[in-house]
Amino acid sequence: MKRLILFPALILIAVTNLQAQFQQPGALGALAPANLAKPRPKPGFDLTGTWLHGGSEGGFRFAPPPGFKLTPQAQVIYDEAKKAQGEGKVYHDDIGQCWPSGLPILMTRVWPIAMIQLPTAIYMIQELMNTMRFIYLDGRPHTDPDIAVPSFNGESIGHWENDTLVVDTKYFVPEHHWLDQGIQTSDALHLVERIRMTNGGKTLEFETTASDPKTWEGEWKWTKKFQRVDYRDIAEVECLPDLNEHMPSTHSNANVR
Amino acid sequence: MKRLSIGTSLILVACMAVPAFAHHSAAGIDRNKTTTVEGVVKEFKWANPHSWLDVAVPNAKGGTDLWSFEMNPPAYLVRNGWKSSTVKAGDRIKVSGHPFMNGEPGGIFVSVTLSNGQTLGAGAAPSNVNQPAAK
Repeated sequence: MKRLILFPALILIAVTNLQAQFQQPGALGALAPANLAKPRPKPGFDLTGTWLHGGSEGGFRFAPPPGFKLTPQAQVIYDEAKKAQGEGKVYHDDIGQCWPSGLPILMTRVWPIAMIQLPTAIYMIQELMNTMRFIYLDGRPHTDPDIAVPSFNGESIGHWENDTLVVDTKYFVPEHHWLDQGIQTSDALHLVERIRMTNGGKTLEFETTASDPKTWEGEWKWTKKFQRVDYRDIAEVECLPDLNEHMPSTHSNANVR
Repeated sequence: MKRLSIGTSLILVACMAVPAFAHHSAAGIDRNKTTTVEGVVKEFKWANPHSWLDVAVPNAKGGTDLWSFEMNPPAYLVRNGWKSSTVKAGDRIKVSGHPFMNGEPGGIFVSVTLSNGQTLGAGAAPSNVNQPAAK
């Protein structure tokens, strides 16, 4: 009899912890009609649409800032990548091996992104492997770090500061996760994005501040611009085994893995 | 800690740059060279994020080598006249591409000459995406 009581209790505890991953136990989900219907201040903008990089200084990709300093361990990896590059080799191209790109790479690639904004959350689908990203706007706090599950896109919590959406993201996986090639991120990666809509609703600006004290010193900042593209939908794009079988650049013996 | 110069870091990032469409690094490709081979199509795949073209090319030993060419996605190729039926297994074609630095047979696709003499390139990124399609 005692065992019969203990087992359901364990199940209840497990379910409660799962619910707590992104919201407090008992809190409404972002898509719950009762949550969507809650009265809230008018958002600064509605970014629902399809967006493509354009007009960013320095292009759409990330580049480390002038004079950047890596931690000794990160410097070793960066130097290895540089050496491999000099030898014409691909270095730890995890995306090419079908690992998710994750943040911030999915926001620094030229593939279009479909964005859907609701009162409680923003849902993004990046055409690069159809990666999904969620930004919660319903006032929930970050998950307790003791139970948060690290992921490639981390946990993004946003709030409005007048016409600017401020998004705080943390809880990233350190494995197979890169800021860009040669710069591997750690579980201490922390991103703050200040998002503004300009140009009459045709341009989105993402001003990103990134810190990762296990990988580099100080804060790195960059601003990328996306342009609204009304005559393009995103496609289904998957990384599949038979794709890579036919891509010698992903399975060459010359690659550094 | 060794500090890399700004120039070095920018060069590294630039060298690591990949084609805009690519899901993978193309660091092993020699973009300063173009190699042309002639052979028989083994497989042509019309797919995202890459189409691909495998061609059996006669070698000096009397056999064939399989050359794999990594191509742009269909959204790019159609802008250069490609259709999913443009090439099929068994077709005799001539293919040009930027080769792998390590000498493996294959590379990044540049152009094809079909058996009827028609030449098609690699296509280009969809443009005018904020404009209605031309009628």
